[in-house]
Amino acid sequence: MLRRAHVLFLFCAALLAGALLACSFGLAELSASEQAAAERNLAIVVNQSNPVNELTMAELRRVFLGERGHWPNGRRITLVMLEPGWPERAAVLTSIYHMDEAEFNNHFLHGLFTGEVFVSPKTLSTPEGVRKFIFNVPGAIGYLRASDVDKTVKVIHIDERLPGDKGYKLHVPPREGK
Amino acid sequence: MPGTSTGPAQTWGRFSRYSSALLFFFTFCAVVVVGLFVIRDLRRADKDEQNMFTGSVLSLHRIAALEYQTQETRRSTLYALGTADSNLHVKYADQSREADHLVSEGIAAYLANARTRNELDIGSRLRRDWSTYLSVRDEVLASILEGSAKEAVDRDLTEGVASFDRVRQDLAEIELIYDQQAAQQLSNVDATSRRTILRVAGVLAITLVATIASVWTIQRMRMTGAIQLAKLQMEFVASVSHELRTPLAVISSAADNIADGLVREKDDLRKYGAAIQTQSRQMMELVDQILLFSATKDRAGHAAFRTLDVARIVDSVIHQTAGFVRASGFHIELEMEPALPSVRGDASGLARCLQNMIVNAVKYGGESRWIGVRAFLRHSHLRGRSEIQIAVRDRGIGIAKSELARVFEPFYRSPAVVGEQIHGTGLGLSLSKNIAEAMGGHLTVESELGSGSVFTLHLPIVGDPGSQAAAENGVRGTTEK
Repeated sequence: MLRRAHVLFLFCAALLAGALLACSFGLAELSASEQAAAERNLAIVVNQSNPVNELTMAELRRVFLGERGHWPNGRRITLVMLEPGWPERAAVLTSIYHMDEAEFNNHFLHGLFTGEVFVSPKTLSTPEGVRKFIFNVPGAIGYLRASDVDKTVKVIHIDERLPGDKGYKLHVPPREGK
Repeated sequence: MPGTSTGPAQTWGRFSRYSSALLFFFTFCAVVVVGLFVIRDLRRADKDEQNMFTGSVLSLHRIAALEYQTQETRRSTLYALGTADSNLHVKYADQSREADHLVSEGIAAYLANARTRNELDIGSRLRRDWSTYLSVRDEVLASILEGSAKEAVDRDLTEGVASFDRVRQDLAEIELIYDQQAAQQLSNVDATSRRTILRVAGVLAITLVATIASVWTIQRMRMTGAIQLAKLQMEFVASVSHELRTPLAVISSAADNIADGLVREKDDLRKYGAAIQTQSRQMMELVDQILLFSATKDRAGHAAFRTLDVARIVDSVIHQTAGFVRASGFHIELEMEPALPSVRGDASGLARCLQNMIVNAVKYGGESRWIGVRAFLRHSHLRGRSEIQIAVRDRGIGIAKSELARVFEPFYRSPAVVGEQIHGTGLGLSLSKNIAEAMGGHLTVESELGSGSVFTLHLPIVGDPGSQAAAENGVRGTTEK
């Protein structure tokens, strides 16, 4: 009787240890997958003081094309772009502008000249610069990999979805070497 | 011997004996007290200096650093105006924010250390004004980063300059407070330094004055002592001359009468011969006394010490002086304890000592014509030994209290006694005292003016450990001296 109890106890302990091991592996796997998802998702970020929390893809496109000059609180919209060559910029040109670099440049040259575009995009050399710019300028809007976002900026919903949500449309290829 | 008056020289002599020691003591006390004040002042000055440094100088440094960081905040913001590069804009914005962070920390530290209401008020105002300026700065930075340089400049000129000036005024006020505190502490240090210098000067002055006074006192004491000694020696010479002259005159006169043939009868010749014999013996006795005094002063007589039977010596002395005592109209009442133990000493010295005491009792015994001699054994608690005491008492003129301390001084004779033409050399008691001390004993006196005196010779007995040691000390002391 006593021996059977011992065997039962050892079996339960082994079961519990296995479950814990599986959970820890699972969590690690989950964390790694979330990390990868954050790497692949492109977040649209604004200043923390900006009252806008959500945009549709169409509204976002208008903002990025410079066809809208001010936010609802009256703040002037400042568009922040990364320098050419960054995958984030390429993803934005593809997903939002539906343009290549030349068409993007022509659009703004032409629009500013004709007055159809109200915003001249600011070009920063690093995602960190983008983040700091948006932190300093209340009306700024830009884009960052979800993994580069911190509390100094605010991520807005696009078509009611945040980066990582199912159906989120803005993605960026993983960084090279990762 | 007895007398009642004390002259200025004697008073000065007594004073000078203790004045040097007292003067040194008071000087020491004064120097210690003032020195303690000086040390306290120096420590206070040191503390003031430390307070000044930690409280004001360091605070001024902190305020200077704060001023620099406020300027840096504004400067970095304005640098951003000079470029169109957004990357540089961000860099300058970062610099400005780092500087403003340091300023905010500095203001918080100032408020934490503020002690007075005024400091707290100014600190709060500075925090408020700085916050206002930072709001303007944020707007200016935003305008610059947006590319609206004109808007940024306009905002800076309309709001930024004014708010930044308020911050600068606040900092200037804080600086003024620290300046005032530093000036106050500096004046405290100055005051303490001045006080310390004055006190050190005071110590030096007191020491100098006390030293001069001490030297003067010592010199005066020595001079007074020398004068007194010379005076005593002159009196001694005069007294000895007088003592010698009287018997010499008698001898000379008797010899003249005999030589001139004025004395022819056999009985007269015998009478004259007896007079010459008596006077010459007196002279010899006087000369012996002087020589003995000299010998005891040199402590040359202790080699002949041996065990003495006190009772026999007392009897012998009374027998020897009986003729003189009787001739002077006195009678001696002797009281002696039976079986007195022996003492160790010089028999002739002890006899001379007792003789002097009895002769003095006759000389100053007054009209009572009574002398009491008492020999007995006593234990001296003071000295922790048993001793034989031989007391010679008279009911004569007595000694004034002021004279008691001096009666054992060699050559000393009371002015009152000299005035009354009582002859003496002033050596008798001194000689007796020296003899007593040479035998390990001592001589004491009790007296009351007009009632009489009692001189007591204290001698340690043989066989008593305490007495033995005392006797040996007395002998050793005399030998060493």
